[in-house]
Amino acid sequence: MTVRRVLIFLPAVLILFLLQSYFWVPTYEQQTRGNPRRLHEYITASIGDASILNPVLSADSASSQIEGLVFEGLIDRDEELRFRGRLAKSWEIYEEAYFYVNEDALVPGLGKADAAQVVELIKGAKKTKGPWSRALEASLDLIRDISIIPPKEFRVLKKVRTLGGKGREGQVEIHVRAPPRIRLTLGKVDQDLFRNLSCLLGDRYFSSFRAWKYLSAPPDLDGERLKALGREILPATTHNPVVVFHLRPHVKFHDGHIFDAGDVKFTFDAIMDPKNLSPRVADYEPVKAVEVVDPLTVRIVYKRLYSPALGTWAMGILPEHLLNREALEAEARRLGKDPKNFSIRQSAFNRHPVGCGPFVFRRWKSDQFIRLDRFEDYWEGPANYERYVFRIIPDLLTQEMEFYAGTIDSYAVQPHQVKRLSKDRRFQSFSGTSFGYTYIGYNMRRKPFDDPRVRRALGMAIDVDKIITYVLHGQGERITGPFVKQTDYYNHDIKPLPYDPEGALKLLEEAGWRRNREGWLEKDGKRLQFTLITNSGNDLRKAVLAIAQDAWKQIGIDVRTDLLEWSVFIQERVDKGDFDAVILGWAMGIEPDLYQIWHSSQTHPHQLNFVGFKNREADELIVKIRQEYDHEKQVQYCHRLHEIISREQPYTFLYVSKWTAVLDKRIVIREVDEKGNIHYRKITPTKTGDYTFYFNRWIKLPEAPAFMAEG
Amino acid sequence: MLSFIGRSVIQKVVTLFFVSVISFLVIHLAPGEPSQVDPLNPKFTPEMVERFRKEFHLDAPLHVQYYLFYSDLFTGKTVSWKDNRSVLGKIWERFLNSLPLFIVGTLLTWTLSFPVGIRSAIFRGGIYDRSATFFSYLLISIPGFFFAYILIIFVVTRFHVPVIGMETFGLSVSSWVHVAMDRVWHLLIPSVLGATGGIAVLSRYVRSQMLEVEGQDYIRTARAKGLPPEQVHYRHALRNALLPFVTMFGLILPGLIGGSVIIESIFSWPGIGRMAYEAILARDYPVILTINFISAVLVLAGTFVSDILYLIVDPRIRL
Repeated sequence: MTVRRVLIFLPAVLILFLLQSYFWVPTYEQQTRGNPRRLHEYITASIGDASILNPVLSADSASSQIEGLVFEGLIDRDEELRFRGRLAKSWEIYEEAYFYVNEDALVPGLGKADAAQVVELIKGAKKTKGPWSRALEASLDLIRDISIIPPKEFRVLKKVRTLGGKGREGQVEIHVRAPPRIRLTLGKVDQDLFRNLSCLLGDRYFSSFRAWKYLSAPPDLDGERLKALGREILPATTHNPVVVFHLRPHVKFHDGHIFDAGDVKFTFDAIMDPKNLSPRVADYEPVKAVEVVDPLTVRIVYKRLYSPALGTWAMGILPEHLLNREALEAEARRLGKDPKNFSIRQSAFNRHPVGCGPFVFRRWKSDQFIRLDRFEDYWEGPANYERYVFRIIPDLLTQEMEFYAGTIDSYAVQPHQVKRLSKDRRFQSFSGTSFGYTYIGYNMRRKPFDDPRVRRALGMAIDVDKIITYVLHGQGERITGPFVKQTDYYNHDIKPLPYDPEGALKLLEEAGWRRNREGWLEKDGKRLQFTLITNSGNDLRKAVLAIAQDAWKQIGIDVRTDLLEWSVFIQERVDKGDFDAVILGWAMGIEPDLYQIWHSSQTHPHQLNFVGFKNREADELIVKIRQEYDHEKQVQYCHRLHEIISREQPYTFLYVSKWTAVLDKRIVIREVDEKGNIHYRKITPTKTGDYTFYFNRWIKLPEAPAFMAEG
Repeated sequence: MLSFIGRSVIQKVVTLFFVSVISFLVIHLAPGEPSQVDPLNPKFTPEMVERFRKEFHLDAPLHVQYYLFYSDLFTGKTVSWKDNRSVLGKIWERFLNSLPLFIVGTLLTWTLSFPVGIRSAIFRGGIYDRSATFFSYLLISIPGFFFAYILIIFVVTRFHVPVIGMETFGLSVSSWVHVAMDRVWHLLIPSVLGATGGIAVLSRYVRSQMLEVEGQDYIRTARAKGLPPEQVHYRHALRNALLPFVTMFGLILPGLIGGSVIIESIFSWPGIGRMAYEAILARDYPVILTINFISAVLVLAGTFVSDILYLIVDPRIRL
């Protein structure tokens, strides 16, 4: 019967056809060992694809991993986290400080003084050893040059709410007759300059400067507004830090074009251009101007003291000749799009980037792989690997299988596998602490969290070491404050809270909470009761939630818990400050700038100090850290701030997790010395645990090498 | 006939409109922001968040956003928020990747279900039927991802060949036969996995249809007049049992764009299901809404096609 035959024959043929394809497929063995080219390729895997390969526009980690190889910044950080020059050969930082001559102030020893007299006074003080403090002396020593900027007149247009306009905004033209101004050029940035100078010029010399006197505005502007405008247009004192970068000559982009200062300025302009919607605007907002002094010198002037500024120049530099106005217009016309609305965001460059980094972009197949080849003309000499491949494998188990099979060279180990894989003789393993911590944050606007004793007691009731051992499989470390543990900013003298439920009860008793007959803690007839929330979808946080609830219940606290979907959690609860306690985590950068998370001005809805931490001394320190350019002083301030935060316990700092990565043992560092001898050495991680730091010198050997001195 | 087609088209257009409104509302009223707007990043100032919202028209009233989105969609100008590429271009690229998986999976499902189901029906209650039932339920209840892992580990450790992706990574052979066969091999396991559930369900369905028809009077008549059993089963019973499957054929159409999130993720297959899933996580509204809209169109087209097919194959139905 034909129907029957067809019904059986068809699936049989189909299955046979599919199965026979097995004989055509190369085995892993053929791919990895039988293929000599494989030794010159480095293949890594990621669970997510890159989104946009342009350092100015991207914000995801997969994109920045590729950008780090294709693009090069002016500087980066070395093994010890100090800055080192890349596209910039060297740089210097100094300061230009300005102040207006306060014609009404009484200067000690001079009375009312004009500009020339003030300059003479400072110059004189600099030369002679007077009875002044050491701080003032240090500030005076820094002054390299003093000059007078003569008075000038100008007009500004300001949008203000006028009285006559019934509270509506209106443009007001203001005529300004600025008094003479004095410019001080300092050898180093000095945030205390004006505080110290006021010892010389009189305590209130700067603060009593009446700027509004020099403004003539329409009469319907009320006094307070005018004063505010005065402070804005003619600030009594101004710090303008300046960074000068000396660029490396003869550096080429991948297309052979020579890199110069114009590219640096272009990259900055691209970030600031509102059309490009760059997520990095905040980093560069304090920049006043980027000036091209000559093709190999860029001068960057800042509006105010902002010490994280230098680190922002590690960002990859874009090639101006491929993305400037003309290039974009030409591209828009080619694609038949409106050149007016065509920005860098739309350009095909983002899927085919050109930079001056060690690897040249070759091919990107979405959700499959990104392939880079080494750049033969790289300024530091070409990398050892000829090819870099970034595979996108969204599933961790398949990643692991591919790693064992040898078609991926590295694998990020899951915490529960660390014990097994780090001892495997086929691999070399690296581990380090990550740049983020998990914490329980208390809403300090609400009772009972307004009492530091309660917060401390809550922290003491939780056995964090057990969380690390059982939830993290030992892959975590305790942390006591908001700085990255591997940096100098972290204060290692501070000990983590001990696990001490008895002590916690004692502290709570001091705060007025006593156990009632049923065993619950009570104060004025009210039970100690609150809700601990976190987001769903994060198993670690969920486990911590249950552990904390249990630990607190044991000392008599009635804790409810709730898991919320991430965006509901953030928008409805955290942003609005509508919570008692939350479990969350922060990812940190190396820079110790904590303004957004800990400054008291950031406690409003939708701001990041959502626990409502307010501390006068901490505020001062946060601002000082932000303005201090001297590493030693910064470290000192950070240690103090760490102390305050740890004393106040606005968060219970729980842990930083540890990561472990395994790598094929045949991968080593190959170096060639001046005589041309080849040396092999083991891959060693840097201070922060970055084992890929020397990636350009890595190479894979046919056999795993044996190193004499291990360790 | 023509009036039926006309009515049906109008009905479907109206349905499509409501689908577009509802899917738009569901996505926009659900909490969450596009991943470009990250309120928990200290580097994101409120002004920047505002600027992003403005760029994506998220600050406009919903009906304006609705109009802007669908007018862009119909003029082919929609771009993904993630990478500024044209959404239709992205979907087309992914569709071409998912298509082979879909075709092989469907072929396997349909060619295997019939022999299995028919045999179960003919030998009802026998060992074969019972074991087929057992395996069907096993396959229906086993989680797809678990089965996939077992298969991958088995194949990789046993045969030492790659199974991940659309082709062997870094394949360096030149002949096109090798390349083609390599692709076929990579299709095999994911499509088998995709088909297992379908085979299990469909073969059950075939079995019950056959049983129902086999109990009819005309089958008894055919037997009584002494026709060989083969002819009774395959000519008289099967033909009539096939009728309901014609309608099911139209319903596979939406599967074209659905893809399979789990299978595609496990096998690193750059398909459309994975893209849709990632778009939902990143709140990439243009991509989500476009896929939503296209699948709604396909569902409606599928029901339309099955109506027409039914009309053609079953002479009892007149519209």
